[in-house]
Amino acid sequence: MTLLPIAHAGHWLVDLLYVLPLVIAVGVLATQSWRDKRQEKAEGRVDKSADAPPAA
Amino acid sequence: MQRRRLLVLLVLLAAGLAVALPDAALAHGVVGREDLPIPKWLFGWAATAVLVASFVGLAVLWPTPRLEQPAERRLTSVPTLLDPLCGAIGVGLFVLVVYAGFAGTTAGASNLTPTFVFVIFWVGLAILCPLFGDVFAAFNPWRAIARAFAGIAALVSRQRLPAPLPYPERLGRWPAAIGILAFAWVELVYSGRGDPSNLAVLALAYAAVQFVGMSLYGIEQWNRYGDGFAVYYGLFARISPLRWERGAVYARRPLSGLTTLDPVPGTVALLCILIGTTSFDGFSNGPAWGSLSPRLTDAIAGLGVGQGTALELAFTIGLVGAVLAVASLYRLGVTGMQRESGAAMTATELARRFAHTLVPIALAYVVAHYFSLLAYEGQRIFYLASDPLGEGADIFGSADTIVDYTWISATAIWYVQVAALVLGHVAGLVLAHDRALAMFSDGRTATRSQYWMLAVMIAFTSLGLWLLSAANS
Repeated sequence: MTLLPIAHAGHWLVDLLYVLPLVIAVGVLATQSWRDKRQEKAEGRVDKSADAPPAA
Repeated sequence: MQRRRLLVLLVLLAAGLAVALPDAALAHGVVGREDLPIPKWLFGWAATAVLVASFVGLAVLWPTPRLEQPAERRLTSVPTLLDPLCGAIGVGLFVLVVYAGFAGTTAGASNLTPTFVFVIFWVGLAILCPLFGDVFAAFNPWRAIARAFAGIAALVSRQRLPAPLPYPERLGRWPAAIGILAFAWVELVYSGRGDPSNLAVLALAYAAVQFVGMSLYGIEQWNRYGDGFAVYYGLFARISPLRWERGAVYARRPLSGLTTLDPVPGTVALLCILIGTTSFDGFSNGPAWGSLSPRLTDAIAGLGVGQGTALELAFTIGLVGAVLAVASLYRLGVTGMQRESGAAMTATELARRFAHTLVPIALAYVVAHYFSLLAYEGQRIFYLASDPLGEGADIFGSADTIVDYTWISATAIWYVQVAALVLGHVAGLVLAHDRALAMFSDGRTATRSQYWMLAVMIAFTSLGLWLLSAANS
């Protein structure tokens, strides 16, 4: 079995560090997008209830 | 409160990693030439922070489109003689480059042709155009020859020349995209690129194609869409606050010239080719390609192809792969934008409408990857001007000039590269935000539509910095 030289792990770890900000940013943006959509839906419901005729 | 904790945690994580992982190349013990206060990857984090801050700033402080209808004002008049004069200089330089390629020494560093083509022309002009406007249009030798020929032909025949064919709409900027891809292939893949006579032959072949294109579709029309170099420099010149027209110079807001870019077919492809080929140039100098390339070459050679051809094929696969990767990334961002905004147009149409946002990124990649080439190898032009053929001449008394590798430090070059990447991507964000405001119904939808474009910008920035650090390690 060929073992990966431990020193080479430094390369891969450093390479991964360049990807990490992108991963974090995508995660935050996806969450924010989901929140925006939820908020818009909620606002849509409020608008509808405001437009609805008062109950007799 | 939770967000603050997360932020503190991320800062601590970054600080901890900065201490634990001083820099790349731990296995080989290669000491970087730069003397940087923080590891290179941390610049990627800082660049991401700048992009996110810019995005938030734009959402809050830029509520209406400001670049979409560019206003210009006439700065000054320019003698009409300047245009033919610059054209004549361009033709003279073209003739000199071709002549040096055929008649000069075959040693690349002592012959004018390779340095002029790959450093002064390809990189130097690309940096001049965003600053001073479309410099190449004035010096374009093929355009100058065609215009002179058309003028003489009209004079001799004493009648107007027949009108050119209408330029096919479907062709768009595809001829330019193919021309630039071919040039990148010569620069990065072709094994004969070091021989000046090969470059001279290719320069003549390129000129011949341009003459055919101009004679079929008209000089200006072909230069606008078909001539790869004219389109390449023309795109970068749209960043400039200056626009030259025959007899006058106009001033405008920087970047605003890009908003009037007509998104014809091939525009996105051309920009992806520019970013992808530059990316491959960096990638091919890094350890990942260094380990992949021999295996790929051997696999191709195993099919019965010669070793040299197999190497060229392996690099061609890498080059095309890099272009496709960049195109896929952009497409991903546009598809995300389409979903977020609920835009009625197709992803292809949306990709074209936002194609101009890729121009500053392409420029950033060119500056970041080739600045050191211009800074060091560009100095060769001083002795090559005196001795273009490499045969011991000393026309201007500068033949003894040597390349000074100390005038700018590796650290300073790194900072220029990082600044170019960050500025280019912030400019891309500004253009995308401005276009989104003009296209979508309200500011909220416009901002939300740009979430994915922000992710694309962060991806391109991180990729650019990773490529630079890999190439330098």
